[in-house]
Amino acid sequence: MESKYEFEEKYREQILKCSRCGFCQAVCPVYGATLRPALNARGKMLLLKEVMDGKIGLDDQLIETLFQCTTCANCFHNCPSGVDVPEIIKAVRQDMVRAGSCHPAFEGMNEVLEKHTNIYAEDEPEDFERVRNRKAEYVYFIGCVGSYREDEPTMAALDLLDRLKVDYTLIDEVCCSGVLEDVGFSIKEHLAEKNMALILETGAGTVITGCPYCFRTFNDKLQYSRLREAGVKVVHITQFLQDFGFGVKTDKRVTYHDPCDLGRHCGIYEEPRNTIRKIATDFVEMPDNRENALCCGAGGGVRGAYAKNSIAMARRRLEQVEEVGAEIVLTECNSCVHNLANAKLRRQKFRVYSTTEFINELMEEAE
Amino acid sequence: MDEKIKQALIEIVGKENYTDSLIDMVSFSYDASEHSHRPACAVWPSDADQVAKILRLANSEKIPVIPRGAGTGLSGMAVPIKGGIILDLSHMNRIVKISIEDRLAVVKPGVVYVDLEKALEPFGFFFPPDPASGKVSTLGGNVATNAGGLKGAKYGTTRDYVLGLQVVLPDGRIMRTGSKAMKSVSGYDLTRLFVGSEGTLGVVTEITLKINPKPTATSTALATFDSLADAGNAINQIMHSGIIPSALEILGRETLAAINENTDLNLPEVDAMLLAETDGYTREETDYQIKKVIQVFEENNAREVKQARTDKEVEDLWAARKSAYAVLARIKTHFVLEDVTVPMTHIAELLKGVEEISRRHDIQIATFGHAGDGNLHPQILYDGYDQEQVRRMEAASADLFKLAIDLDGTLTGEHGIGLAKAPYMTLEHDPVAMDVMRHVKKMFDPNNILNPGKMGLEE
Ligand SMILES: Cc1cc2nc3c(=O)[nH]c(=O)nc-3n(C[C@H](O)[C@H](O)[C@H](O)COP(=O)(O)OP(=O)(O)OC[C@H]3O[C@@H](n4cnc5c(N)ncnc54)[C@H](O)[C@@H]3O)c2cc1C
Ligand code: SF4
Ligand code: SF4
Repeated sequence: MESKYEFEEKYREQILKCSRCGFCQAVCPVYGATLRPALNARGKMLLLKEVMDGKIGLDDQLIETLFQCTTCANCFHNCPSGVDVPEIIKAVRQDMVRAGSCHPAFEGMNEVLEKHTNIYAEDEPEDFERVRNRKAEYVYFIGCVGSYREDEPTMAALDLLDRLKVDYTLIDEVCCSGVLEDVGFSIKEHLAEKNMALILETGAGTVITGCPYCFRTFNDKLQYSRLREAGVKVVHITQFLQDFGFGVKTDKRVTYHDPCDLGRHCGIYEEPRNTIRKIATDFVEMPDNRENALCCGAGGGVRGAYAKNSIAMARRRLEQVEEVGAEIVLTECNSCVHNLANAKLRRQKFRVYSTTEFINELMEEAE
Repeated sequence: MDEKIKQALIEIVGKENYTDSLIDMVSFSYDASEHSHRPACAVWPSDADQVAKILRLANSEKIPVIPRGAGTGLSGMAVPIKGGIILDLSHMNRIVKISIEDRLAVVKPGVVYVDLEKALEPFGFFFPPDPASGKVSTLGGNVATNAGGLKGAKYGTTRDYVLGLQVVLPDGRIMRTGSKAMKSVSGYDLTRLFVGSEGTLGVVTEITLKINPKPTATSTALATFDSLADAGNAINQIMHSGIIPSALEILGRETLAAINENTDLNLPEVDAMLLAETDGYTREETDYQIKKVIQVFEENNAREVKQARTDKEVEDLWAARKSAYAVLARIKTHFVLEDVTVPMTHIAELLKGVEEISRRHDIQIATFGHAGDGNLHPQILYDGYDQEQVRRMEAASADLFKLAIDLDGTLTGEHGIGLAKAPYMTLEHDPVAMDVMRHVKKMFDPNNILNPGKMGLEE
């Protein structure tokens, strides 16, 4: 049978292996926030099965569910049939865009990155009061969210690196554009080239990223292979920090939210915990943690396209913070920080920080 | 959907709780079986009054209504085979009350099994049926299908815990059945009539469940047998020993081979593996019981017997059983998971019979299941796009049902009749019983609007 869409060639078997058991319903954040089975992983796979059977078309009617997936991979992780839903969804979105069906928010994002250097179309980059593009041992790569939406955590991360006497430089970074692949488009070569050129010019042997998504993009994507060929290592700041001592402690109750991009997608669970245990005497886990962590609702472009449901997903995560009585919730991703902080209700007294910002604050207070 | 009816439904549940959009209609066409059919629309009611209004409307317009929980049913029970309105009860998901003193919990039908489990845990209580789908399936669905699970032999099934129900009848009247008291012989047992009725008689809108204190200690042992006959004898003799294990699971040869091919568990490829768990409140108590079970294993020529000493070892012993479903689910693009059940003395014969059927129809069937209550899960694996394999799968299913009935068993121990087993109802039930069932259905639902086309009730 000749397949009409590219996703079929690669994923037909897997989609058919979805046995409709519905186990993903227990973990899918989109289902959890909406209780609408069509938005669950199973609902998505059923639609694709009907597309492959020629019963329905891959058209605008499917946008609402196929573009409403945070790609958190919690379904995949719990799927008895091993159906890699997020990868399937990404492939399908490419087919949909080719067929002319796309959520306007993502079309917009693609256009923005044609013309601008970041997803927010901001023209004035934040300079974070640091000299950029100098020779240094490390490059610190901030990412769009950290640059334009969560500048306080970023400033704090930089202050912390200074306190730890790390020889790093910022660069005139542009969006890594990895997210475009998730929402039906492709990485912008010119942006990738610019980032790589700037990184290589600094002579740095290691890039430290503040964003787990940029970290994945640099390490996994073909468009960034020149970094790997040049022997430049890319680490997330949580990996970098685990070898340091900070000499400060808090007795506040602290919990940790695993970002999907760092946890389920990269298997990085212990590094942040090792660091947090050094500074927090009362560290508690939320009921769903590590590979079972509930998604904050921001990923896969959902925050931009379905803001209301995205916030509802974050609220469900914050209920778990309340449940364990934490005063501080730490995480390692500015998107998570952003969404969780936005979703926090006034009566919820805990605070949301990136780990680096929290440590920096403790060190500042101790001085 | 007719515009007038659509507006009337929207009036009842609100615009945001009505849908006829394609994505919802496709997802509501299916459950976990191989059956499917599109509904005309779906609604998410929030209370019994809304359910009553919807049913009244549907009854006067003669439109099918299909109650739905999580859609994890394995027999097409929630599939709207005649179209109509899907009544998705998942928004009615409040735990109304837990009363430890009265030993009961009152819940709305959309509460997910595991959420009740979590709510009871701090009190040291549980609702024992424990279906393998407990993380997703709803208590309403569990009641409507009389769900059971691993612990069936010792703790029974959902039926044994339902004290009372609130039910909306097809004509829109709301009825309470049963009592909050631990026992009651007051009038006909209407509660039990609704348990396992697969949404064909009424919509369950509230459930009063008896709950149990949760045993705090367990012991676990595993044995392998070169011959099915020995395994069968062991199962029978355990019951003679006076011990009722809290779980007694069996894995057949084909299942063990499949697990070996797809994992690195390295299991012995024997005729059968038995896994037993005993429970209680002290280790001495559960160890005493498991020793007796082990003794029976040894007396029946077990090739190897292992008892778990640590939590890690317990996990290791369960690994094969826990992986069975997922391993088998990945082998072919399609499968059916049956649940034929026989008196325990016939388990070995049933297993042997399944192997014969598999050979006769040249189709892969792997079996595992609950030896402790005679409930086996032969999983038939095939390619659903190959008509020849579909035909062989259907022929094998038919033989399997016939075998179970010949062995004094039943078509289904826990997954229900729905669409999948409807053609076989007359194999198990005599004409008088079928006639009575059809009359019961007619009495509650004269217009046949509630989940029509199921359970072989239409001649
Ligand atoms: C992997 C897997 C493992 C399973 N393991 C088990 C197991 O161990 N034991 C077991 O018993 N089953 C098992 N099942 C089958 C299934 O989970 C059960 O039948 C479960 O009880 C169905 O619940 P649900 O909420 O999904 O109901 P649905 O599938 O949505 O509905 C099932 C039936 O109940 C009716 N119904 C639902 N809610 C109501 C209501 N409030 N009022 C009236 N009728 C209603 C529906 O109309 C339908 O006829 C398993 C299924 C899967 C996929
Ligand atoms: S858990 Fe996997 S097999 Fe089950 S319904 Fe979800 S995607 Fe399908
Ligand atoms: S990847 Fe996450 S959001 Fe997407 S379908 Fe799976 S569980 Fe749901």
